[in-house]
Amino acid sequence: MQDFLTAAAILIVGGAAVLVLWRGTRNKQSLSTEAQRVTYETLHTAWSAAPPLRAGLVPDAAKKSARHLRTLLDTPALALTDETEVVAWEGVSEHHAAEAMTQAEDVFLTGRTQAFDIGCTEPNCPINCAVVAPLTVEGRVVGTLAAYSREASAGLVRATNQVARWAAGQLELAELDRSRTRLVEAEVRALRAQISPHFIYNSLSAIASYVRTNPERARTLLLDFADFTRYSFRRHGDFTTLAEELRSIDQYLALERARFGERLKVTLQVAPEVLPVTVPFLCLQPLVENAVRHGMEGKVEPGHIQIYANDGGAEAQITIEDDGIGMDPDKLRRTLAGQVDESAGIGLGNIDERLRRVYGDEYGLVVETACGLGTKITVRVPKYHAGINGM
Amino acid sequence: MTSGYAIVAVLVVALGTILVGTYGLRVSRTTSDFYVASRTVSPWWNASAIGGEYLSAASFVGIAGLIFAYGPDMLWFPVGYTAGYLVLLTMVAAPLRRSGAYTLPDFAEARFRSRVVRAVASILALAIGWLYLLPQLEGAGLTLNTVTGAPDWVGALIVTLVVTVNVMSGGMRSITFVQAFQYWLKLTAITVPIVFLIVVWQVHGAESMTKPEFPTFRQDTKVAFSHQTTIHAEQSIFIKGSGEIDGLRIEDAGLVLTNGYHRIGQGSEFTFPQGGAVPHVSTMDHNTNATWALPESSGQKFPLYGVYSLIIATFLGTMGLPHVIVRFYTNPNGTAARRTTLIVLGLLSVFYLMPPLYGALGRLYTPELLMTGQTDAVVLVLPTRMIDGIGGQLLGALVAGGAFAAFLSTSSGLVVSLAGVLSQDVLRLGGVRGFRISTVLAGVVPLAMTFVSTGMPVADMVGLAFAVAASSLCPLLMLGIWSTRITTVGAIAGMLAGGVPALTAGLVTMFSDADDSWYEVLLSRPAAWTVPLGFAVMYVVSLLTPRHVPPGVQRAMVKLHAPENLGLDGSGPSSADERS
Amino acid sequence: MTVPPPQDGPAPKPTQRVVVTSPRTRAPRARRPYSGTREINEQSELGAVYMRTLIRAQRRLGLSVCLVVCGSLSVLPLLFSIEPDLGRARVLGLGLPWFLLCVATFPMLLLAGWFYVRQAERSEREFAELVERP
Repeated sequence: MQDFLTAAAILIVGGAAVLVLWRGTRNKQSLSTEAQRVTYETLHTAWSAAPPLRAGLVPDAAKKSARHLRTLLDTPALALTDETEVVAWEGVSEHHAAEAMTQAEDVFLTGRTQAFDIGCTEPNCPINCAVVAPLTVEGRVVGTLAAYSREASAGLVRATNQVARWAAGQLELAELDRSRTRLVEAEVRALRAQISPHFIYNSLSAIASYVRTNPERARTLLLDFADFTRYSFRRHGDFTTLAEELRSIDQYLALERARFGERLKVTLQVAPEVLPVTVPFLCLQPLVENAVRHGMEGKVEPGHIQIYANDGGAEAQITIEDDGIGMDPDKLRRTLAGQVDESAGIGLGNIDERLRRVYGDEYGLVVETACGLGTKITVRVPKYHAGINGM
Repeated sequence: MTSGYAIVAVLVVALGTILVGTYGLRVSRTTSDFYVASRTVSPWWNASAIGGEYLSAASFVGIAGLIFAYGPDMLWFPVGYTAGYLVLLTMVAAPLRRSGAYTLPDFAEARFRSRVVRAVASILALAIGWLYLLPQLEGAGLTLNTVTGAPDWVGALIVTLVVTVNVMSGGMRSITFVQAFQYWLKLTAITVPIVFLIVVWQVHGAESMTKPEFPTFRQDTKVAFSHQTTIHAEQSIFIKGSGEIDGLRIEDAGLVLTNGYHRIGQGSEFTFPQGGAVPHVSTMDHNTNATWALPESSGQKFPLYGVYSLIIATFLGTMGLPHVIVRFYTNPNGTAARRTTLIVLGLLSVFYLMPPLYGALGRLYTPELLMTGQTDAVVLVLPTRMIDGIGGQLLGALVAGGAFAAFLSTSSGLVVSLAGVLSQDVLRLGGVRGFRISTVLAGVVPLAMTFVSTGMPVADMVGLAFAVAASSLCPLLMLGIWSTRITTVGAIAGMLAGGVPALTAGLVTMFSDADDSWYEVLLSRPAAWTVPLGFAVMYVVSLLTPRHVPPGVQRAMVKLHAPENLGLDGSGPSSADERS
Repeated sequence: MTVPPPQDGPAPKPTQRVVVTSPRTRAPRARRPYSGTREINEQSELGAVYMRTLIRAQRRLGLSVCLVVCGSLSVLPLLFSIEPDLGRARVLGLGLPWFLLCVATFPMLLLAGWFYVRQAERSEREFAELVERP
């Protein structure tokens, strides 16, 4: 009898324990409320769709974003179009893709969401209607988002509207990104075209002063000047080698030396291992110009400029140092943060921005300076970078 | 056998390395004339630098030692080390430079656009580097032991310390001019003594080295045994000294060593009589000089397999060595890369004429090394043995200095590239701190391995590093450069299928004593089966996974193969315009 | 019997002019062919053909030099194994294997390398000429 009771007790206790555990683990939902879960799901899906949208309405990227957008709307099919063609169709019944463009054109004309009845003769096709919403970027309709379903409910229409608005927002961000890139490139072009008039005047004057006394030197300087301007206006892409950039700096310094004579003392040390490194065009020459200007400004005694290019294993390290009037660190900090609109000429902010865009944020300019204490700028460039050298 | 001059030479080399590394060759002028280096490095400088860094312990002492012990089969080492550059020249040099890659993992990422391929290549590069660094440390230990009598680990420790400290302090960043100078130093250090030695040999009557007799002691020779050694005596000889033979303790007495096997205890010192036949260490085949001079007399099982495996490993492995590839970056373009490689071929050829001469002379003048098993010491011992007095000591010092320079320069190059791989790809630590940690790690791991490894000949260990490189990175390079069909999956599969077996075979050979089993040679010379495995797997798996062809493969091919001066595909700026 | 319908009067007067030119005016203009460089840069099919030709030529050159040299070297161990007497032959006072591997190989490697560099550079020059003219 006792054994029977013991066995029963064990069974009951064991069963209760199992039951409690079972209920406990099933109640995973007690970790979060329904609202939190829905919010998480929606935003998570939305953010998965964001990166491909940033690439714009191109077929490869649009296919990826369409997949996530269809999850958001939970429809059998979804299509994205740009102004001329369907860039992505996601889901079943691809045979409706052809009509998608005609429907889209309607939406393009009016700029408003519309619903269409699609008579479908296919037996297994679950699609009977379409809700097409415009994708509006900066007030212009650049594409449409079409959601296909069995029936068009008000809920579907509102959801499609919201999703289309959100997707358009992402496209607008992509547009902004491109604008910023164009702006930086435009600044570079301005830098290129901008050999300072003062520099031209001073150089030509210096050359002129040698014409009678030392015609050979005048000729060399003139050729230096020609080479220098030709390099600056060159259009071959955005990158050049360190060797070429240093050659341009060499010519620039030859011209400045003609002007300043003994007052400009330059030390130039270059490790030959870093000469083939690919660097952005005009990333060093403006810094040297900066150094010369700051180094010689308002000084009677000679100014010293030191330019070192060292091999740092997998990187090249270039330092440009002058002992001139230095810069205000706070103002400089604001320039590098992009908060100050640089007056034409220095280009420090532009160079910093370009370096960070190409190589990553660790590769920005490092400047050591204080008023009256000179300036030292360090530039680090990796020898190999997937973005540039990747094929 | 300690030599004061040799110690001085070693110290001078060590100090000189540190000083040059710290202060560098700073040619600076602060006057208004400035020094413009918009010239690029000429192929001669770059080739000398490659040669200087490439000629390691194996080249300096290892080859001579092997030839001395095993005969002309070992001539395939220097031939292979050089022919590897021909393979590199014809198949890899120009495209690799055009890819813009600084290291091999860079190339893997550039060609395959995949971080996974890069990661696998990094790990293999790390393994190869460490496998290559280990024999350098062992060679340093041997040199110091020969020169000063210090225990083996002292030399390894010193080299590790010097190199690690040097690299961490920012020096020895593979400065081209320094490494170029190293080549000419090494060439001098190995050529000058041999010239004198040959003269002496002529003076002694130009005795033939291939007589059908066993090598004999030229004079009464005292030999110290620093480890327990089993020897085989071909003839009975009468020896004197103190120590332990076959368990018998002998104090300052004479003994007849009958022919057959004997075990000599650690710390024993015996004098062997002039004219007596030299006993050999039991692991070496006992050959007459005539037999020694014949091919396939090295007493290995399956000698033909061994030779072919060595050929495959050295011919194909050069392109996968981490410290060689980074030097190609210094060339401005693909054409210069080709010319540089051609010059390297020439420089290496000149150097490799010398070690066989040392090996051959050793049969006559330092035969006792056949008994102690320290055959690698041939190069170091010959000068003092053949030339008496201060002349011999100076020459010996020159050779010792050159040997030490070989270890230091190659080790530095290896530690720098290994630290780079560690900090960039494996540990992902940036900045100076990350580099320092990586440097310490790069040096300490092989040092630890020296305490555990058996005393394999240095050149054999280097051959294992070559085998791993030939099985994994060589297929990656060759197939990646010349075939558009290689996919990322195929690349990874091929590298692993070739590299992992080769690596395992190498580690087993190094850390466990060689049995006489039939598969021992498959493990010590694995290239003959791992290299075809690597190639085959890479190609076949690529054909099976065509959807994983990296995007933009056509563009990649243009970049790798199009001549630079055409300015194709924005592949770098066109050369500077000429001044008219 | 039917009567053929009476001929209409003179053909109806045209109400609109018709544009007439020689057929050659409307023929599609033959474009000036792009230079090879442009084709390659634009990654067109033609560009791919150019590149394939170059790559094939370079590969053939590289492989042939490599295989000839390495092949001839690799045959030696087999030779010595099959014909042991070769191992005993003497050339210039040296055993044959010593002579071949120590003295003869290195100049051969150098020569092969020099030949390859020359051929490769010439092949690239020819490709450049081919590709730069339209």
